[in-house]
Amino acid sequence: MATHTTTITTRALTGAIALLSPLLVPIHAHAQNAKDADVAALRAQIAELDQKLRVLERKNEIKDEEAAAKAPTTPKVTASDKGFSIASPDGAYTFKLRGLLQADSRWFLNDGGQTSNDAFVLRRARPILEGTVGLAEFLFVPEFGGSTTSIQDASVNFVFDKSLQLKAGKFKSPVGLEQLQSDASAFFIERSIVTNLVPNRDLGVQLGGDLFDERVSYAVGVFNGLADGGNSTNADFDDEKSVAARVFVQPFRNSPDSVLQGLGFGLAGSFGNQESRSGLTGGYRSDGQQNFFVYRPVNTAAGAANSNIIADGDSVRVSPQAYYYNGSFGLLAEYVQSSTDVRDAGTGANANRRATIDSRGWQIAAGYVLTGEDSTFKGVTPAQPFNWANGTWGAFEVVARVARVDIDDKAFPIFANRATSASSAKTVGGGINWYLSRNLRITADYAHTEFDGTTSAILKNGEDAILTRFQVAF
Amino acid sequence: MKTKLLSLALALASTLALPAKNIELLNVSYDPTRELYTEFNAAFSKHWQAKSGDTVTVKQSHGGSGKQSRAVIDGLQADVVTLALAGDIDPLSEVGKLLPATWQSRLPNNSSPYTSTIVFLVRKGNTKAIRDWDDLVKPGVSIITPNPKTSGGARWNYLAAWEFAKRKYGSDEKAQEFVGKLFKNVPVLDSGARGSTTTFVQRGVGDVLLAWENEAFLALKEFGSDKFEIVTPSLSILAEPPVTVVDKVVKKKGTAEVAKAYLEYLYSEEGQDIAGKNFYRPTSEKAAAKYASQFAKVQLFTISEGFGSWANAQKAHFADGAIFDQIYLKK
Repeated sequence: MATHTTTITTRALTGAIALLSPLLVPIHAHAQNAKDADVAALRAQIAELDQKLRVLERKNEIKDEEAAAKAPTTPKVTASDKGFSIASPDGAYTFKLRGLLQADSRWFLNDGGQTSNDAFVLRRARPILEGTVGLAEFLFVPEFGGSTTSIQDASVNFVFDKSLQLKAGKFKSPVGLEQLQSDASAFFIERSIVTNLVPNRDLGVQLGGDLFDERVSYAVGVFNGLADGGNSTNADFDDEKSVAARVFVQPFRNSPDSVLQGLGFGLAGSFGNQESRSGLTGGYRSDGQQNFFVYRPVNTAAGAANSNIIADGDSVRVSPQAYYYNGSFGLLAEYVQSSTDVRDAGTGANANRRATIDSRGWQIAAGYVLTGEDSTFKGVTPAQPFNWANGTWGAFEVVARVARVDIDDKAFPIFANRATSASSAKTVGGGINWYLSRNLRITADYAHTEFDGTTSAILKNGEDAILTRFQVAF
Repeated sequence: MKTKLLSLALALASTLALPAKNIELLNVSYDPTRELYTEFNAAFSKHWQAKSGDTVTVKQSHGGSGKQSRAVIDGLQADVVTLALAGDIDPLSEVGKLLPATWQSRLPNNSSPYTSTIVFLVRKGNTKAIRDWDDLVKPGVSIITPNPKTSGGARWNYLAAWEFAKRKYGSDEKAQEFVGKLFKNVPVLDSGARGSTTTFVQRGVGDVLLAWENEAFLALKEFGSDKFEIVTPSLSILAEPPVTVVDKVVKKKGTAEVAKAYLEYLYSEEGQDIAGKNFYRPTSEKAAAKYASQFAKVQLFTISEGFGSWANAQKAHFADGAIFDQIYLKK
């Protein structure tokens, strides 16, 4: 019975399907068409999206192509811790603005009651304009610090090759090692007393360059000629000229694994002839920038006291020099011997008396960067600039120096006066440099100087000077 | 004795004879002429060496014709320019003062050694059924053409479309409306014709490329006729790309003679043959006949017939603030 019932049910179902099947086919076909239409619509949508994506990609590509094509013709403008510059795409024409500002203070201890020494000083305020015009480099540095405005540097350097450069204008005479170091990078606020014996910036023409992969640098030039410590006033007062030359060797410069990589040594000197009072030093200065030696001033009094000390004859300097930098440690040493022929051109008792005044001096200065950065001839760059929020402090360096200058006794009493000058100065000093960044530096130095061969109460008292400096250099 | 003396004199003279020179020319050209000038430069160097003994190396610079013109005015030291249209050479005279205003009369056929025209390159199957200019302004058609502000080819494209619409719809207003619609369908503007070819052919953007005829043929040749096909519209423009020596530069460089000879050689039998081989329409009867079969018959109009002159067309359509700017900024 059950089987019969099942058979009937199956038959009924089969019959129903058979009856409905003509109706079901169109429904299925309709569903299939709808599905095809959906797929087609989706395909169209994908194609449309694909095109949009391709258009966006191509637009970006064109943008990049245009930027790349533009690059060779677009001047490069940069602003960084090295200054602000604009350069032609090929780098042949550049203009760079840099600057140096040094706000100092000088404080003298045990100065015997002098009331005019302690002071805040605007030591240097220099916009530095430099650049290249094809193969020539130029440098123009006016000075607004101190009490007068002047031109510190104004030079053009024709770079025919790294090894052959011709410089003309006003620039540092190639003699003193510390003198040739940048004002912003020296260990101490003031250069050592030995720098009194070398010329500063002079007017002339110099041939120089680097040889043997920069292991040897040379410079030889003809200049107007300067007195010890002199700085050209852009004029010359006699027909005589001086020759200055320097050779400096860094034999291991390109050997990074050598402990002597930072060793450099050389010999510099100058020879010339001077025939006027401008050939005499304006004064040898202590670390506190106080004069400790000057030639007698012109005395126009009638009679035996009439005197006019001038340079008259040869002026010769020789300076062996060296530095050594290794990691955080730096050492700089130089010796200078300077001789100047002098004469009393007055009409007094010493008229036409002559002498060759030989002065000599030396210094050894050393620095150690406590925070581990490298000490270099070009200064210290902190690994992490000072940032209060981040708790980084920049770099700290301690420095020390001993220096001595001896002036020929032949200078006294005819050409110089022991009442106002000393025949020697010995300095011991120390200091700390805080490099907040590559551009910012705060320095405090102390220097103790003893003077001999003088009757001046002030000089005999010695000098204890504390100097401070806030510096921005970029 | 006389013979000996003569021989000696000749020997001495031969040692004094000027040595062969190495001469370098710069041809600043528009985008799609790379292949043409690569072949032509080699032929000319050979010809010149045989003629004079001197070695000539011709350097090529390519880019949007307008852009190239500006580069020469800005100091690119082109000995010769072979640009897409006279309107891009005129400023070298007017603005750059690099050549005389009469430059176009110095060589035959208004200084155009070959001509070309504008055609459509579509993808194989032409799914958007593009047959003529009218089909380009339909919604959903994506057109690739370079920027008329920087590309000579783009200006020919634009002017061909304008003239078609003007003739069909009867006025400049209708033509402006038509060209406006056409540029609404342009999704990306390259700065030169070669860039647009890259956009269409290699990047797969767009349904149709408005192209120089030679550029379209080159795409077929390089990428295969199984991928693209050329559609020739009912009306197109006779593009006459001109050439000239840049007087001020050749005078300075001392290359006037060879630069002039270089351009004149474009009109030679060999120069014309190379033009035809590279799908430019040669102007010499012989080469034109040789290559006639490769070009479709199309009704062509000249720039003077449609717009008076290139100067007029430039001023009315492509100068800053002119019709193209109005159309494109509106987009």
